[in-house]
Amino acid sequence: MPTIELKIERLERLVGKKLDLKELEYDLQWIGLDLEDTNVEEQKVKVEYNPNRPDFSSPEGIARALKGYYELELGIPSYEVRPGEITLNVDPSVKKVRPYIVCGVIRDIDLDEDEVATLMNIQEHLHWAVGRDRRKVAIGVHDLDKIIPPYRYTAVKPDSVSFIPLHGDGYPMNLEEILLLHDKGIEYAHILEGKDVYPVIFDNNDEVLSFPPIINGVLTTVTDDTENLFLDLTGTDFKAVNLALNILSTTLLDMGAKIESVKVSYQGGKEIITPNLNPKKWEVKAGYINDVIGLKLSLTEMIKCFQKIRMDAKKSKKNGYLDIWVPAYRGDIMHPVDFTEECAIGYGYFNLPLTIREGGVGAYHPIQDFSSKIRKIMIGAGYLEILNFILTSSEKQYDLMKQNYDKTNIVEIANPISKEYNTTRKKLLPQLMDTLLLNRSEEKPIRIFEVGDVILLDPDEETGTKREVHLSATSYHDEADFTEIRSTLDFIMISLGYENDFEIKPNKNLSYIDGRYGEIYLKGSKVGEIGEIHPEVLLNFKLEFPVAAFELNLQDFL
Amino acid sequence: MSIELKKQVIDILKILQEKDIEIEASKLADELNVDYIVLMSAINDLIDNNLGGFREEEMYQVSLSQEGLTYLEKGLPERQILQILLKNEIKEINLDDLRGQAKLEENLFYVGISNLKKNKWVAQSKATGENKIFLIAEEFPETQLEKFLKKFESNEIVDYSTLSKEELMQFDILNKRKLMNKVRKTQRIIYLTKKGKSIPISEIKELKQISKITSEMLSSGTWKNCNLKPFDVTKPGPLLKAGKIHPLVNLINEIREIFLSMGFIEIRGPIIESAFYNFDALFQPQDHPARELQDTFYLNNPKVAKLPEKDRVLAVKKTHENGGDSGSIGWGYEWDENIAKKTVLRPHTTATTMRRLAQFYRNNEKVPVKVFCVDRVFRNEKLDKSHLAEFTQVEGIVIDDNVTLCDLIGLLSEFYRKMGFKKIVTRPGFFPYTEPSMEVSVYYDKLDEWLEMGGSGIFRPEVTYPWGIKEPTRVLAWGQGLERIAMLYYDRTDIRDFYINPIKWLREQSYLK
Repeated sequence: MPTIELKIERLERLVGKKLDLKELEYDLQWIGLDLEDTNVEEQKVKVEYNPNRPDFSSPEGIARALKGYYELELGIPSYEVRPGEITLNVDPSVKKVRPYIVCGVIRDIDLDEDEVATLMNIQEHLHWAVGRDRRKVAIGVHDLDKIIPPYRYTAVKPDSVSFIPLHGDGYPMNLEEILLLHDKGIEYAHILEGKDVYPVIFDNNDEVLSFPPIINGVLTTVTDDTENLFLDLTGTDFKAVNLALNILSTTLLDMGAKIESVKVSYQGGKEIITPNLNPKKWEVKAGYINDVIGLKLSLTEMIKCFQKIRMDAKKSKKNGYLDIWVPAYRGDIMHPVDFTEECAIGYGYFNLPLTIREGGVGAYHPIQDFSSKIRKIMIGAGYLEILNFILTSSEKQYDLMKQNYDKTNIVEIANPISKEYNTTRKKLLPQLMDTLLLNRSEEKPIRIFEVGDVILLDPDEETGTKREVHLSATSYHDEADFTEIRSTLDFIMISLGYENDFEIKPNKNLSYIDGRYGEIYLKGSKVGEIGEIHPEVLLNFKLEFPVAAFELNLQDFL
Repeated sequence: MSIELKKQVIDILKILQEKDIEIEASKLADELNVDYIVLMSAINDLIDNNLGGFREEEMYQVSLSQEGLTYLEKGLPERQILQILLKNEIKEINLDDLRGQAKLEENLFYVGISNLKKNKWVAQSKATGENKIFLIAEEFPETQLEKFLKKFESNEIVDYSTLSKEELMQFDILNKRKLMNKVRKTQRIIYLTKKGKSIPISEIKELKQISKITSEMLSSGTWKNCNLKPFDVTKPGPLLKAGKIHPLVNLINEIREIFLSMGFIEIRGPIIESAFYNFDALFQPQDHPARELQDTFYLNNPKVAKLPEKDRVLAVKKTHENGGDSGSIGWGYEWDENIAKKTVLRPHTTATTMRRLAQFYRNNEKVPVKVFCVDRVFRNEKLDKSHLAEFTQVEGIVIDDNVTLCDLIGLLSEFYRKMGFKKIVTRPGFFPYTEPSMEVSVYYDKLDEWLEMGGSGIFRPEVTYPWGIKEPTRVLAWGQGLERIAMLYYDRTDIRDFYINPIKWLREQSYLK
């Protein structure tokens, strides 16, 4: 979850209320925020927000919500965008590489140190939360007075344009060179992989403002003397670029900046004016909201709830409906159901009553039920239950057990955390052997068992695999032998009432000693294996005593 | 008063007198070929008569770690790399080429190179513009380190205190490279007191005490004349090596019982799942960060899964693209079937819940449906004291008409009350597939703390509509991981303990908490 740091003093100024740290911690949770950390000395807090609320990535955004919660301000905050003169033309060539751009102009900025820090921070958060690490949205901030409008957003051949990039060596580089040599180019080159043209923003003198989503030109560097800003947001998702611009703009407006619109003209397409901070209207049935939450709020009460979470609402012309206006910085409203949560937050989760609905007859899954029975029998036989991961290594599962395999007939994880966990288990026994290895200095006899899942490849299954529950047991001590483990197996079969339905057919298996291994058959079909472990396998697991073992497929018993 | 001892104890005293040295108990037991417990009981008799005793001493045993053992066989990385150079008669080679030829993990390769340089067997230079390795020595004698490693060939476990100063240096080097294990052991040293050393054996009377009643004694009646040895009834007996349920399974079963008592039916689903049921059916957009490789395990084999019936796939596709018939505006991107076909190790049991919704649709079932799942899930996460790549998730869902958020709070209160938490609090939360969503915390009186338990909410219409679950039918859901609770429940500080089976702990852990 993303976190931001807040200075209490600044938050108090924004909210317009004295805030007590203890109270704040309590209050933040009810608007969906989580206090991660409190620094009493420096009067700072760290707050965690959910990724669906990128508007909480600035103190201004959080202050807006708190003002509603404390009922200091209700309804949608009003924001003014002045009509501007600047035009940016969009060439159709960008469709193939990075189709969307929206812009804004900020006049007469006068930001203090904290506000500059917030502006940097919010860009980083938006790149991450809305922009999917610049893939979907990338933000550029420029010194407006260094460039001459109208601007032009177009796509060019990688070696056809050169400019001096920010944070470079001070020499012009072409776009291809930037991707190969510049730090940011190397970091984000993957976004432009496979494209034959790259996006660039020019001013009217063909000077480069930016090579989005990689790097700006040094020309428009923002300095202490900068008075006016030009914002560009490019990306692959029209809604996302607008949302990021709106969050950025409303935050700047909350800081006291003046915003001017930019005419973005898609050649051969439509013309839009950005930023567009007009609230979006929804018509929602009030009864639906009550139904989902489980309340019986009147329309008036409900309207108050929405005002508290900084939306506007009033009775709709349609009977029993509400018109609800959503502020432009909210990107998480997709369905009327989203208003149910908003209303519940406005109402206060702490006020929600609990209701009990009784009924239903419970049941265990048959295989789990059977597994529980098996566990009881094994415990009666004196075996200690262990648990292992389903994740394991092919080395443990096959090589150490002297079993042959090739890559095509085992489950293979594409991105394992390490070689230790590169596949899933097909048998439980190898991990029981491993457990013995880890515990070999414990008091003997060590008799252990596991009931757990194994995964088998099966092309007939929808997922290409099937899971089965197995039981495996091992006895480890200086006198462990086939007779002992056979007695244990017999005990299980007798307890299950299968003593006359199973038989052991002698066979060979590389993991076991020849002449002391057999396959277990239940009513004619193979359900498992039993035997004394081969000395080479014992040595592979660094064991000093014999091991007698069996493994049964419990699925076959149902 | 003269001293009376059992014959066996007298024999042991005699041997100790003859040896006239202090000796470690298990060694003595081996020499005498008696059971360790029998020996210690004899020593106790000596203690009772002030003839002897034992003291406990701590000692360290050192042995090779798993990695160390492989080097014993294959040679240290430096030797392995050297062998490649020698075998192929290479005098100089590009560092990356050498890396390619040495089948070693990256960090081990560089450890090897740095030691080759330390041994002055190779030199590294970038003078030619390439990063090159030059063979500079003619002979490559066995190093001190290798000599030390060999010590473990015949002797797997070595007493730390017997290591020479030179060997200690080598031990430290290997230990730093994580090739050694050092274990603390307590051993008992048996000695005789002055009295024990000097007492003539002939003065000791043989005690005709018996410890066990035999069936022969009972039938013949000789038990009446026997002197039965008293036991020290205050002493604990040796630990019983009995069968027992694993602590985590015990907790899982308690939770399953709670679900059962609340009228829920247990479900199970595939562990290797399609991205479709894992993410797409849950309305997680295909560029969602949770779907990326650093969070979810994908598979090379089997690489793809089959998708369900065409019309349902289409319904899910439409919902992503424009909301379908759910009333949503959708995500507004072009949904790709091939991404949905990818196989993953399921990162949550909600995939199984989704399959239950699909079954509900296919069988045209009636409400209410109340099901639960306690099962394994997987996240691409490095293992440490508080993280696992594979763990247990608990999940419950209710499909019913007119169920509400307040009903969900009621369910949660009952569930956690049955788990022993009397106070719960629900706060606004966010999960991609529920709306409204709630975070659930419970009050844990033992620690006087609120614990975050997990998430809950009502499934979004975008999730349920493709499966015909429409207003006023809704799906309540909640879920949480289990191992963190188990850590509190069983006082463990390392979450991995639940899956590495320390048998001593498993034998001793109590269930009642």
